[in-house]
Amino acid sequence: MNKQTGIKDLLGIAARFIVGGAFIYAGWLKAVAPAEEFAYAIETYKAVPASLTIFIALVVPWLEIYLGLFLITGVFTAYSALCLGATLLGFEGLLLQAIIRKLPVTSCGCFGASKGNSLSHEFIQNLVLLAFTALAWKYGRKLSIDSLVESYDQSESPG
Amino acid sequence: MPAKKTARKILISIMLAFAATLLTLLCRQFSIGPARPSPAWRTFGPQTAKIQIYEYTDFACPACRAAEGDMKNVIKLYQDSVRVNFKHYPLSTIHPWSFHAAAYADCAGKQGKFIEYAALLFENQEKWARTKDKPKEFSEFAKKLKLDVPALEACTEEQDTIRQVQLDVAEGDLRGVNATPTFIINGKRAVGGTQFLEQVKNFDNLLKK
Repeated sequence: MNKQTGIKDLLGIAARFIVGGAFIYAGWLKAVAPAEEFAYAIETYKAVPASLTIFIALVVPWLEIYLGLFLITGVFTAYSALCLGATLLGFEGLLLQAIIRKLPVTSCGCFGASKGNSLSHEFIQNLVLLAFTALAWKYGRKLSIDSLVESYDQSESPG
Repeated sequence: MPAKKTARKILISIMLAFAATLLTLLCRQFSIGPARPSPAWRTFGPQTAKIQIYEYTDFACPACRAAEGDMKNVIKLYQDSVRVNFKHYPLSTIHPWSFHAAAYADCAGKQGKFIEYAALLFENQEKWARTKDKPKEFSEFAKKLKLDVPALEACTEEQDTIRQVQLDVAEGDLRGVNATPTFIINGKRAVGGTQFLEQVKNFDNLLKK
């Protein structure tokens, strides 16, 4: 393994932990709080029918936890990174339309009901996370369950 | 062979998801996680206080009225060591006006008179709690406290005010509150005035730690 590959692998692992950790934390904060809290935050974006917000608020936190965990542990790493990337793009879309429409969103709902940062701050933060997600997708296979399963299967195969 | 690999990974994913679900649900069960602070007008005591109390109350409940005096004494006695987060938990099925009372108290709080308005609600509980029509006392108390009554009335209809009370109820449900008053003192539950006072007896020990 040359030096450059080593750095790329390290970056990939770090990216997995950063993105996965952020998603687990964000999901956990919302999952241990009443779903209504997050539902109200979603409502303020005025992008989905009010009747759907509670359903979304019930589902999204668990999705964040599971995908974050899959990325950190490196199971289906590429797919997990892709799904998280798509989720982040969805969040970016929501934030952008709220910024353009100048909606009075007091809590972005990103990390539970805490006041949080401004929408533009969250938008930039998500861009950074998107960049890390790309790194995790491209270089995140080292020290992962994926690689562990591969090497286990190779050692098991005859010859 | 690839199918075998995928099956292994799926099995690991399911195990991970199961563990994460179990852990998160346990956190919910034991109320581990950041508590939502009450608005400033119904939070009393320093933020860094060693004893953190969350009090779930219904203005139409007689036991809450009885516990109100004890709570006032505790705040007076342990003013620098106790922080009280007052939470609404109107039992609307048995007290038809308690949700409205909570909204009125919050709107009075926005005008700086939460404690005074809450005291009037408790003192006159028997007059308004079981009336058929909307109690006139709600505006009378506001006039008595020299509040801006039209602004107060408008505030009680606002979505934000209603949500604030609804969120308190949802949070109470999540924390397993089903009777009032319920106190959560440094994570420990007390239901009713007697259990509350039992825990208060331990405050000096808690403060020594």
